[in-house]
Amino acid sequence: MSQYDALFEPLNINKLTIRNRIVSTAHAEVYATDGGMTTDRYVKYYEEKAKGGCGLCICGGSSVVSIDSPQSWWSSVNLSTDRIIPHFQNLADAVHKHGGKIMIQITHMGRRSRWDGENWPNLMSPSGIREPVHRATCKTIEVEEIWRIVGDFVQAARRAKEGGLDGVELSAVHQHLVDQFWSPRVNKRTDEWGGTFEGRMKFGLEVAKAVRAEVGPDFVVGMRITGDEFHPDGLNHEDMKQIAKYYDDTGLIDYFGVVGSGCDTHNTLANVIPNMSYPPEPFLHLAAGIKEVVSVPVIHAQNIKDPNQAKRIIEAGYVDFVGMTRAHIADPHFIAKIKMDQVDQIRQCVGANYCIDRQYQGLDVLCIQNAATSREYMGLPHIIEKTTGPVRNIVVVGGGPGGMEAARVAAERGHKVTLLERAEELGGQITLASKAPQRDQIAGITRWLVMELDRLGVDVRLGTSADEELIKEFKPDVCILATGGRPFVEQNPEWGADEGLCVSSWDILSGKVEPGKNVLIYDTICEFSGMSAADYLASKGSLVELVTDDIKPGVGIGGTTFPTYYRSLYEKEVIMTSDMILEKVYREGGSLVAVLENEYTGQREERVVDQIVIENGTRPNEELYYALKEASYNKGQIDVEALFDIKPQPVLSEQVDGMILWRLGDCVSQRNTHAAMYDALRLCKDL
Amino acid sequence: MVIDWLPSILIVVLLALGVIGALRRISLWRAGQPEKVNLIAGLMAMPGRYLNDLHHVVERDKYMSRTHVATAGGFVLSMVLVIAVYVFHVEQKIVTWLLLGALVLMLCGAFFVFKRRLNPPSRLSKGPWMRLPKSLITFALTFIVLTLPVAGVLPEGFGGVLLTLILSVGVIVGLGELLFGMGWGGPMKHAFAGALHLAFHRRPERFGGGRSTGLKPAQLGGESHGVAKPSDFKWNQLLGFDACVQCGKCEAMCPAFAAGQPLNPKKLIQDMVVGLAGGTDAKYAGSPHPVRKTGKEPGKEVGHAKGGANNIITAGLIEADTLWSCTTCRACVEECPMMIEHVDAIVDMRRFLTMEKGDTPNKGSEVLENIIATDNPNGYAPSSRTNWSADQNLPVMKEKKQADVLFWVSDGAFDMRSQRILRSFVKLMKAANVDVAILGDEERDSGDLARRLGDDATFQSLAKRNLATLSQYSFKKIVTTDPHAYHCLRNEYADFDTEGALKGVEVLHHTTFLNQLVQAGALKLDTFKGGKVTYHDPCYLGRYNGEYDAPRDLLRSLGIEVAEMERSRFRSRCCGGGGGAPITDIPGERRIADMRMEDVTATGAELVAVGCQQCTAMLEGVVEPRPEVKDIAEILAGQLIEEVH
Repeated sequence: MSQYDALFEPLNINKLTIRNRIVSTAHAEVYATDGGMTTDRYVKYYEEKAKGGCGLCICGGSSVVSIDSPQSWWSSVNLSTDRIIPHFQNLADAVHKHGGKIMIQITHMGRRSRWDGENWPNLMSPSGIREPVHRATCKTIEVEEIWRIVGDFVQAARRAKEGGLDGVELSAVHQHLVDQFWSPRVNKRTDEWGGTFEGRMKFGLEVAKAVRAEVGPDFVVGMRITGDEFHPDGLNHEDMKQIAKYYDDTGLIDYFGVVGSGCDTHNTLANVIPNMSYPPEPFLHLAAGIKEVVSVPVIHAQNIKDPNQAKRIIEAGYVDFVGMTRAHIADPHFIAKIKMDQVDQIRQCVGANYCIDRQYQGLDVLCIQNAATSREYMGLPHIIEKTTGPVRNIVVVGGGPGGMEAARVAAERGHKVTLLERAEELGGQITLASKAPQRDQIAGITRWLVMELDRLGVDVRLGTSADEELIKEFKPDVCILATGGRPFVEQNPEWGADEGLCVSSWDILSGKVEPGKNVLIYDTICEFSGMSAADYLASKGSLVELVTDDIKPGVGIGGTTFPTYYRSLYEKEVIMTSDMILEKVYREGGSLVAVLENEYTGQREERVVDQIVIENGTRPNEELYYALKEASYNKGQIDVEALFDIKPQPVLSEQVDGMILWRLGDCVSQRNTHAAMYDALRLCKDL
Repeated sequence: MVIDWLPSILIVVLLALGVIGALRRISLWRAGQPEKVNLIAGLMAMPGRYLNDLHHVVERDKYMSRTHVATAGGFVLSMVLVIAVYVFHVEQKIVTWLLLGALVLMLCGAFFVFKRRLNPPSRLSKGPWMRLPKSLITFALTFIVLTLPVAGVLPEGFGGVLLTLILSVGVIVGLGELLFGMGWGGPMKHAFAGALHLAFHRRPERFGGGRSTGLKPAQLGGESHGVAKPSDFKWNQLLGFDACVQCGKCEAMCPAFAAGQPLNPKKLIQDMVVGLAGGTDAKYAGSPHPVRKTGKEPGKEVGHAKGGANNIITAGLIEADTLWSCTTCRACVEECPMMIEHVDAIVDMRRFLTMEKGDTPNKGSEVLENIIATDNPNGYAPSSRTNWSADQNLPVMKEKKQADVLFWVSDGAFDMRSQRILRSFVKLMKAANVDVAILGDEERDSGDLARRLGDDATFQSLAKRNLATLSQYSFKKIVTTDPHAYHCLRNEYADFDTEGALKGVEVLHHTTFLNQLVQAGALKLDTFKGGKVTYHDPCYLGRYNGEYDAPRDLLRSLGIEVAEMERSRFRSRCCGGGGGAPITDIPGERRIADMRMEDVTATGAELVAVGCQQCTAMLEGVVEPRPEVKDIAEILAGQLIEEVH
């Protein structure tokens, strides 16, 4: 008996029984190496989800069927060669072993790619219209090429089937070639492949017919579509219902996956993988609309992260399967924990979009808060086993994400763990980050860690400043410093930090300093902190100019997140200024004057404001480290070879006389949440 | 002289009165319903049953067994010889010396009875039972003195008239207790009724080391169902109640009593005695049914229970809550030296309450309605029975038709916690390449719960439908992880198996089956590296089916030395989950599961191994911190060394 029974009612797609209603939908993993093969890392990543109970994994978002649809720049899966088949067999076996099912999304990207690499192809599109997100120019596809690509789809489907996968998903979403033909925004053809509704549908239909003919009636062939492109000249929801019904009526398609929003502008792309600024399931209504007109199961993902939310969606019958893809990236044991009655132990996705924002930079997908995800192949565990070695006395200093993770992992290992935190609450910089508008959900990282530390019985001492004496009192076997950093506002003495002419973004976000009326933020980092400080100030009514010496404010923020900042900042009329260096600040009467210099011309400008906020990153808090270093057994050193190899620190197997000292996170040098948590996990997992 | 004849006359008179009393007692039993027994064979078997089976139970308490052998043996021998010497005047020296020997033996025994009664444990009834050792001593001493002259140790006429008179009083006191009391309801009634109870026991299979735990089917379709009045019991059940010695061993073992729920099995049996003989319980001198100190309806104090053979039992004799407090764990039955069948009686009375009155308390009627409508107690859609195994690739009998093993999944299929047990077991079977199939959606609730809640009609309907399904397929073994279903299939379905669906089929609990696999080397298991482990014997596996060793063998195969609880094996304490007790949910002062978890904690174990989903649920319901609870299948699956292909 469980409140989640609705999630655990199996449902068939075609003849394939899916054990529950939770799907990891297709996303680009950026793990396919060796020319787009699903190698060890890829297999282990999906095996972990299957082990954790996920019903269906649809892998390989945007896996290409043709050699002229490039995949190497983002390590996507390559189905254009028979070389993939044995790799698929490994993948299928690994997932099937745990009762899961696995399909792959197959596509030709058309204009939505990059041509500058791999085979240097001409990209193709129905009418040769450039795609802005990838700055992708392309040619108008010719009929011979259309038929060749239909054939490529057939071969790709055959390879998936021969590789033992349970099905293929034809991508007709995110402006891939199929929906480039669908959308009048892109398809301006007047031949039989465009013009009329049937003309625009023809390419997708030929693909579906040919693939079905190849794989036979029982092999699953699904289709992922948008529910509304959100472009005035694109496909709206009614158009999409018509399209879905049209394809459903052919009987060729076994399920529809529905995604809200088009994807070929920066702003619409942000909708596709809604970050923490979005409400829960913002586009469920679109999927439910499609479900009204089709006869086969409908899958919908997009900001469904919580088991109760998923259950409610299924119980209400909006869709048949919920996609919980990022939820599984954050915690591949999501389902197992529901089944174990450990819902409180689920590491919930916070919508930081670290995963997808890396993907759009062509980097491997990683989870901001779960460093084990996709590193299973290296031996990083999701479930940390108790040590069979000595139980150690561990003292962790600093309750930011790195320190909390270190304490958590050490406690899971069965050690006696004390966590000292100077502030009155845990969280470190995450607490600051969560103060900005639309960024509150980032605190979910802290929430989960706090609950875990409590469950594991870690002795958390808040309001405790650690010094050399205090550490000695604890007589730790291992002392881990994760003391973080502090704002580096004194880098340029001319900024006048010592005279109180400027404050840090931390001062603003923490509420320590009241927002000024007329504020200049100088942001050299161009990531979340500066944008968040600007958004925070603007939301408090300040007039804000966000100045950077970099190429644009927020340039370091990924493709699904900078648009939501921009929406908020433009709406609040924040002025964004690039390429200007803050040279000096001086006081003039009751005001402050900021002297800005254009990096490229040297031309100077002045701004008269009443508050100057500096975001210049952090300097490490390393005083305690150097106080403890000399007396420590290992002189504070970490064996990086062992660390990078995910091997136990050699010092742990030595006869240690004294205390082992390590430090991690920003108290070494400024990196990010993931970096600190990764170090914590790989250092402590063998503790 | 008349005075010389006095003892003999008294003996004859009291003997006659005893016989009259006994006949009257027999007539009380005969008010019960007919039940065929083999009178002659039963009587012939009786001494053997006494000396073996009953003694085997009593022997668990060495002090008491020796005391009883001396007292009872001495008395029976003395009585025979007393009649020989004093009624038939067989006065050979050897006989009189034998009599003296028997009396001394009895005196010794009586002395220890006396000693025990100086500071009796609370479970023992007081009242007339406190008098008994004195009566026994009086009897023995009287006849010793009386016999010394007969044996020639003292001169004839020693002590004169005075002594004869005193001895006559002794004879009256001694024989009054032992003969008159035996027939007329004194403590010694137990000897007479007990002997006949052994002869005409309703479950003769229990004798000779056998086991008979399946409930007898209710007769359906008659005017009334179940036991409403004492006279609705079978006559030999009534006889069984009369055999009670009020030793309170049942009381000491009863989990409901310990939890302060309104059930004391000893009092229940005594209530039945009041019922069969008529009257009140005013003379009852043992612990009452616990009276709730809190809550709206306090129970009744002793003295207020009234009954008669034809009076409705729950209208004045006992409270319905008493009946619903029972977990059917059989600890009382297992412990009873008189081999009384408390659980049969309780379920018989529940049958009346449920089938005639519809008075199953709390969630009872809802659960029964669910079972009737959906074939499972929680009312899940029957089609969702196989949801749990969607990813298990388990063949279904409907398609496979035959398999070595039919895995009886039971209603754990609907429960997320129990599914972990099921999946673990499947994993182990797969690792051992067992040819297995399930019934899938064709399986129905075994009927255990309906039966224990008194709804035998629903049980019988489920049993027949399950058997009809089973009869379509071919399999050698049925294996289940649910001891309740195991018990039904193994011990209770036979009464309805007209098609022979289970003929030649071995029904096994999964621990038994897994142990066979491990012994045969079919499973490769790693050594368990966790902390201390104890094992909780599920009632329906242990006491009901005698399987105590397989679970322990399995744990040992993982290198686990079980840290045994004090109450283990046949003395295991129930988790509180049997007999529908969690559903009828009669309040007490404590929860049974909490007490059981205290037993676990007392061993210092970090993990309690269980072999029953119901026990798992009950023990996991205890608030943390507490030791972890895992089914043996889960522990085994965790240590399984999987072959890498």
